[in-house]
Amino acid sequence: MLDLSRLRSQIDAFESYQVASEDRRKLQRRRAGRALQAVADDWQAVRGRVEEAEPRELVARMREDPARTSAAPERPTLVTVVATDGSQIYPDRHVEPTYFLLNVGRVAFQYGTTAAPALDAVPDLRFREDLDRHFDAVLASMTTEVVSALRDEMELEHLLDAARENAVGGRALVALADGTLIRWMIRGMRNQPLEEALIRRYTGYLQDFRAEQFPLASYVSMPGTTDVVNLLRFHLGELGDDGEWVDDETPTLRGFLDRTLFDDVLAVGERSAVFGSASHIIRESYPEGQAICYFYLKIPTGPQTSEITRVEMPEWVLDIPDAVDHLHATLLDECRKGSGYPVSLSEAHEHAVIRADERDAFFRLIERRLRRAGLPTTGSRKRLSKQRPRV
Amino acid sequence: MPTAIGEVIESSTRTFVAEVYDEARSRPDEPAEPAFGEWVWAETARGDEVYALVSHVEIGSYDANRQAVALGMDEEERRREMPMVQELLRMTVRAQILAFRSARSGSMRQTLPPHPPDIHAFVHRCTREQVRDLDAPYDFLRTLVESPDPAVPVDDLLVAALRQVHEAHGAEHGGRPELVAAGRTLSRLLDDDHERLQSILRRVL
Repeated sequence: MLDLSRLRSQIDAFESYQVASEDRRKLQRRRAGRALQAVADDWQAVRGRVEEAEPRELVARMREDPARTSAAPERPTLVTVVATDGSQIYPDRHVEPTYFLLNVGRVAFQYGTTAAPALDAVPDLRFREDLDRHFDAVLASMTTEVVSALRDEMELEHLLDAARENAVGGRALVALADGTLIRWMIRGMRNQPLEEALIRRYTGYLQDFRAEQFPLASYVSMPGTTDVVNLLRFHLGELGDDGEWVDDETPTLRGFLDRTLFDDVLAVGERSAVFGSASHIIRESYPEGQAICYFYLKIPTGPQTSEITRVEMPEWVLDIPDAVDHLHATLLDECRKGSGYPVSLSEAHEHAVIRADERDAFFRLIERRLRRAGLPTTGSRKRLSKQRPRV
Repeated sequence: MPTAIGEVIESSTRTFVAEVYDEARSRPDEPAEPAFGEWVWAETARGDEVYALVSHVEIGSYDANRQAVALGMDEEERRREMPMVQELLRMTVRAQILAFRSARSGSMRQTLPPHPPDIHAFVHRCTREQVRDLDAPYDFLRTLVESPDPAVPVDDLLVAALRQVHEAHGAEHGGRPELVAAGRTLSRLLDDDHERLQSILRRVL
């Protein structure tokens, strides 16, 4: 039960805070725009200074003029788009035995042809016997992170399969994953052998993509990253400074996001320069040539509205002729058709998602099978009482 | 066994709903999708053949949470640029059960069956021979008139049912006497409501 009347003064405070933040953001936009131009004017020298300083923060690696913008090229008339997205039923700690379910939606479209699309979902029931000793230890405490990491891995595995099954010789192909290709979330499990095993398996698939030369990219909507802003802060000499104001009229760029910066820089449909990620995970654990690069893209979300998204790809994709142009044009086309989100990822999501009634049917099926085998499940009463609170 | 046109997805002893196979819809040699007012049949788990009249045909989204939206593309462009759309649509038919053929006796009975068709039972269109077996005294018309599908204008369904009687018996080459016999049965059922009967008969031929 939520008593809205008791929230009134807190909402008043929130409104005032937002108004003040917006004023500060306007000043930040101006300062960031000027700083980007200054860095662009002498970008190679700035790059040298960053490399020398080795800042602790994530600072975007420049590969070209950082203020460069590119209009969308024509999409190839014929292009194959494959995409996957996943969902899961997490293990329930109130239920014994432990099991969880991963479900990956896969799509393949042959744009420009009348070939039937491929749309399906692949479920995978995982239980303890499937997992090696590392996983057993962490499942008790780090369930969500491990399951999410395994889901990401399965998404990439099926994306590779989808590319292999649907690639057509001589036709452009785009393989689209959802979310980041940088395994940030794995660091934090505080279990180094497990972290390394997960990253090794994930990057193994990246290597397979490279061997097949399938241009792989991932799509991050509403990115909260600050790599390029950190580059500007480095140039302004304020990186590492926690202060909010340089002087009464000049805010620092603390809290300013890359997506706000590029909202000013890019016209609808344009992409930014390509940057390299300075993530230490990539430096320490990704194989040679698999460094992750990215650009920002301004996509239309309506007649008058737009959004900045981040598109990531392994470094070797940049060496495939026209791959970045094809990716840019195809993503823009997909977002136009999907009202602001790529239709292939959206269809993959729709196929992956496990609805409440399907989830209930899954639990009923499992419980019935275990009961039939003379193995009563325990603890499910708590789950049931959560589903149907009693008076 | 003739090719099935679809499969039962909801079932009772009064009606069943069938999803029509895509292949049936795109078969080039014959129009295979079931039409409003057409006879179809499906089997029960005990082997009875259940006969039903298609009372509703619908095309919609597989997913109740997703609605079709206008795309501004012609069919060719839609297939090239939005290939997923066709995959997300399906045709379903609702059929009103009016008769069954007993597996034990082999006789056709113009009454409701003891059991509904199985979920996933194959649905077939009826042949002319099968429609001819649904003959005088046309007791199925009584079920249709007195217990119609509430969501369907029953007179339009009666028009379609009489037209099938006429066609199954040879149409202009011999179908008339059977149509007249069915019309007489209908006249009695409508309590000699001549205006309504005329309105139905006018639309048959």
